Amino acid sequence: MKYAPLLLLVTVAVLIALPWLVSGSMLNAAVQMLISALFAMAFGLLCGQAGMLSFGHAAYFGVGAFAAVHAMNAFGGEGLLPTPLLPLVGGASGLVSGLLAGYFSTKRTGVYFAMITLALAELLHALAPHLKTVFGGEAGVSSFRMPAWGIGFGSLNDVYFLTLVWTLVSIGLLYLFSKTPLGRLALGLRENAHRLRFLGYNTHALGTLIFAISAMFAGIAGALQSMNIEAANYVVLESHISTAVVLNSFIGGVRVFLGPAIGGAVMTFFGHVSSDLTRVWLLYQGIIFVLVMMFLPRGIVGELVERIRNPSGEGLARTISTLLARLASLAIAAFGAVFLIEFLQRVLSPEYRAGVTEGNWPDIALFSYDWAPLSVLPWAFGLGLFGFGIALVIMVNRRVAARKEAQA
Amino acid sequence: MDQILFALLNGTIYGLLLFMVSAGLTLIFGMMGVLNFAHASFYMLGAYFAYTLQPLTGFWLAIILAPILVMGVGILVERFILRHVHEHGHAHELLVTFGLSVVIAEMIKMVYGKFAVDYRVPAELNFAAFSLSGIDYPFYRLFMGGIAVVMFIAIYLLLTKTRVGIVVRSAIYRPQMVEALGHNVPMVFMGVFGIGAALAGLAGAVAGAFYTTNPNMALELGVMVFVVVVVGGLGSMGGAMAASLLIGITNSLAVGSDFRIADILTWIGMGGWADEVGGLLTMRMSSLAATLPFFIMLLVLVLRPSGLMGEKE
Repeated sequence: MKYAPLLLLVTVAVLIALPWLVSGSMLNAAVQMLISALFAMAFGLLCGQAGMLSFGHAAYFGVGAFAAVHAMNAFGGEGLLPTPLLPLVGGASGLVSGLLAGYFSTKRTGVYFAMITLALAELLHALAPHLKTVFGGEAGVSSFRMPAWGIGFGSLNDVYFLTLVWTLVSIGLLYLFSKTPLGRLALGLRENAHRLRFLGYNTHALGTLIFAISAMFAGIAGALQSMNIEAANYVVLESHISTAVVLNSFIGGVRVFLGPAIGGAVMTFFGHVSSDLTRVWLLYQGIIFVLVMMFLPRGIVGELVERIRNPSGEGLARTISTLLARLASLAIAAFGAVFLIEFLQRVLSPEYRAGVTEGNWPDIALFSYDWAPLSVLPWAFGLGLFGFGIALVIMVNRRVAARKEAQA
Repeated sequence: MDQILFALLNGTIYGLLLFMVSAGLTLIFGMMGVLNFAHASFYMLGAYFAYTLQPLTGFWLAIILAPILVMGVGILVERFILRHVHEHGHAHELLVTFGLSVVIAEMIKMVYGKFAVDYRVPAELNFAAFSLSGIDYPFYRLFMGGIAVVMFIAIYLLLTKTRVGIVVRSAIYRPQMVEALGHNVPMVFMGVFGIGAALAGLAGAVAGAFYTTNPNMALELGVMVFVVVVVGGLGSMGGAMAASLLIGITNSLAVGSDFRIADILTWIGMGGWADEVGGLLTMRMSSLAATLPFFIMLLVLVLRPSGLMGEKE
């Protein structure tokens, strides 16, 4: 991994140059990607480093978002702090709510912890609509970014740089945190809490503290989100936000430092790109997650890092050709599966069903062809590609296994 | 008085329903150490399967077939997904089932749409069982409670009085020993997982007709079931039963109550202040009913973290 610092430097340079490289809509997506990357990193601290699986992280994200909006509106719109410092408010409120929620949830460990975090998030979500002064009811709370420090914060570029700086600084702080004694203790908590207790550490206080720090960074991400859209609605407390961060982080890989960030950014990017193409992106996200959990338990980034650290000993050319063969066969299977799902989605969509009259099923356009839903063709096409791809994957796997056997 | 009686009855039946789902969850957890996050999804699948089958087979056959189908899904999940990730540890299994719950919810949305479907109590069961001071009590509620009670008796007898039950209980306790004695433990696990799923499916098939059947029902009930399990203590059937009833009854009592926190404060002369502050203090109990179980959970966590009847960790 001697190239890691260089790679990091290039990534940061590209991120800084991004506003001049891509269109406005893409830049907007980039802001979202940065926010989900930071949110996923906050989750990764709790889940990857300290081994505490939270299913309710949307709560702290949402608390940060609302705190930032209220701070923006404070003093008749003057703002509690200059605009660039507003995420601090989100972070502080995340920290406080994290201390409170962490106190309760870290009373238990393991699966209980996961269930309690979910229940706490649902509690906040159930309460929010009733507390109109704080959460603004159906309409939510909206606000404006005030100019500060000679920057207007009106344009997307300004918002992008604000988000970028905060995300990079926060991730940097998270990295430094992981090197502190407290950060090391988080690993201890994950690996063997009994032993920590035996050594005289107060594991409940430790867990609460780490929970609160994770919630603080989630709060910063939430603040950036509400500053970006200049509003907050109690939708940010909904469970699908918590779900998304769990899926993204694990798809990336929670045990490697930047895994969650990359997972969050990449999945948000695909979500953004595919929102015009498919209505069932969440289904794909769920399927990808289950597949990653089954076949790449370390996550995609985690698996890559592992492969680079411990090469298979087959030589670079072999490794790359195996990888390419696997990817190609997977792509065929994925194309078949996507075709089937999209076709099914279109057949089942209410608009299509409304168009069906007595035994007359109109053709469906998909991938620039018209397919008759009652004929065997589209189903056979999708299933065939899927089966063919899977067969290829199995074949490649068998070959690799046979080669390993021959070596041994 | 009659209203309180109704609330108690409703609460008991809702509690029994919660128990039907949490019993399966507890059973699976006790045996395999897997917290099945998708368990409430099986409940939802039960409701949707029954809804789909009802026009074809009629209500009775639908609520028998739907749990069997759900059991099939459960067995497939155990055999081809959970068993595959077993080597990576329990946290991993939890995550996979979490992913499955997302996939199932999204599939349901794709097939049936995002809104509630029209799954109703059949006309022949839609009558009043009795009426108290002019209010009819629906027979279907009693029917749901009855099914739940019959299920528990059946499961209890199965677990305590039969050979299968002995094998299952010993497989929870000492899986290696049971395997050494020549029993097929993975098969037992698969069966328990399937039966747990079927129980949830049956609860869904029966309750979906009475409550609403929508793609959110899994999450709504799932969260309640988790609260039950935290309050009662995982792995303890008695705890799950007590917690289910406690939460069911408090929930339905709270729905009918106009009580406000500000009312207590009025007794000590702070009513005016509370009305000024507003927010939580002036909210009616009825609108807080949905959040009450969470507060019970927090209370239990502070006073007795291992749950009402749970063992110490």
